[in-house]
Amino acid sequence: MTAKLPIKIAVRDFLVFQGQEEALRGITLNIPANRILGIIGPSGSGKTTFLRALNRLNDLVPDTHVEGQMLLDGQDIYHPSFDVVRLRKRVGMLFALPVALPMSIYENVTYGPRLSGVRNRKRLDEIVETSLKAAFLWDEVKDRLTMSGLRLSGGQQQRLCLARVLAMEELEVILLDEPCSGLDPISTAKIEEALTILKAKYTVILVTNNTKQAARVADETAFFLMGEMVEHGATEKIFTVPNDKRTNDYVTGRFG
Amino acid sequence: MRIPPKYTQALAVVILGGATAFTVAVLVYVIVFVLSKGLPGISIEFLFSAPKDSGLSGGIYPMLVATFLLPLMAIAIALPLGVGTAVYLTEYTRETRLTRVLRFGTDCLAGIPSIIFGLFGYIFFVEMLKMGWCLLSGSLTLAIMVLPTIIRTSEEAIRAVPNSYREVSFSLGATRWETVLKVVLPNALPGIVTGVMLGIGRSIGETAAVIFTAGSILPRSVPLSVFEPVRTLSVHFYTLAREGISNEKAYATAAVLIISVLLVNLAAYGMMHRFIAKRSR
Repeated sequence: MTAKLPIKIAVRDFLVFQGQEEALRGITLNIPANRILGIIGPSGSGKTTFLRALNRLNDLVPDTHVEGQMLLDGQDIYHPSFDVVRLRKRVGMLFALPVALPMSIYENVTYGPRLSGVRNRKRLDEIVETSLKAAFLWDEVKDRLTMSGLRLSGGQQQRLCLARVLAMEELEVILLDEPCSGLDPISTAKIEEALTILKAKYTVILVTNNTKQAARVADETAFFLMGEMVEHGATEKIFTVPNDKRTNDYVTGRFG
Repeated sequence: MRIPPKYTQALAVVILGGATAFTVAVLVYVIVFVLSKGLPGISIEFLFSAPKDSGLSGGIYPMLVATFLLPLMAIAIALPLGVGTAVYLTEYTRETRLTRVLRFGTDCLAGIPSIIFGLFGYIFFVEMLKMGWCLLSGSLTLAIMVLPTIIRTSEEAIRAVPNSYREVSFSLGATRWETVLKVVLPNALPGIVTGVMLGIGRSIGETAAVIFTAGSILPRSVPLSVFEPVRTLSVHFYTLAREGISNEKAYATAAVLIISVLLVNLAAYGMMHRFIAKRSR
């Protein structure tokens, strides 16, 4: 069933070395378009490394070396001629801890578009409104867009960060790195609701420590353990009748 | 025998408090001493007229102008160079043997006595480049002198900007330069301003480095070009006091110098606080 969906990202024998350590050991995975892929696994399993490889943020970490391929719409994002700056505009990232930049809410949301050269005030206003609405934050901040983003609560800041990612006009893929780990249940529910709507337009990859969250929102789930992908399949299957015993032990809470 | 904690605690308070009180007392004494001797000699006429009879009578206007112009020009030269170097060392290079050697070099440079800079400025700018004693020679010499301070404080300030800000900026499709411009520098600004303040503080009262490069000739009027020799307040004070020309004028000059330094500091901190307040509103 999953094989019939168009593939957005194809990962082929992908390895990541950090210094001498092999952080990812040969991942092969097809990520379908317009679905939410949940990635679960204990800490240190390579989930975050994998996610950060998808928009080449690992490039910033000294002594990182990759092998294998990551194909976005068939093009290898690690090919020397691939434009990294453009890649990051197409593949947006939401971090575990909400990081509002120390500027106004408006400036936070328009950070990406302004980098891409959007100057028209009306156009920027529109982007701010649609992005904040899509992130379920508009009603809370519409009257104080010039206020510093740092003065929002943690949950609001994380939704601001989501809006900031959504504001990028070339966005195709959204990466989320345990986006709700520090949030209250209501903010978490808002983020999850936003994601289920957003998948109609984007490909969503959600790394989470919370297996219940994967079970709630992910269409497909991949289980990572010690740098390897143990299993990948439809979420119901992973959570009810997984092929691998280790997957079963993890999702039933026997370890991790 | 062991002293009970109760007494060591009391002792610590006395010693630490004493050290603080001593520092503040010396500072206050110097300021009060200079102001009490100098303030009676200050008048509008003293501030805004040219000196006469080698400074025995008349005012200090040309020196006052030179005292502000020299550090201002020095900072204008040193700030882009210093911040540029700091950005390059922190954002564009990895920590290697070379960056460590560079950092050690700047630290050494920061500790060199100012008269050595004066001598260098005299040989290089005044003699070799044939610029003579002038405002520009003095400014360039002071710029070199404050450069290490500006580089080091800017570097610390840039390093203190959370890495998560950089990651967010990169993840939103910014290049390294855009990240430096939009995220790193605005957040490092308070630290950079501190470096600039230290630089101004060091150069506004500087005497040795200036006497050799900007000159000590008693001016008739304010400098009209950067190639004119100037005399700063500290050089003027030094001349008045050493040659015994006028104690009254010397103290008045010293008082003006102290007030100038205070005003410059106040203005800079005021500007910085307004900037920070604007960003966190």
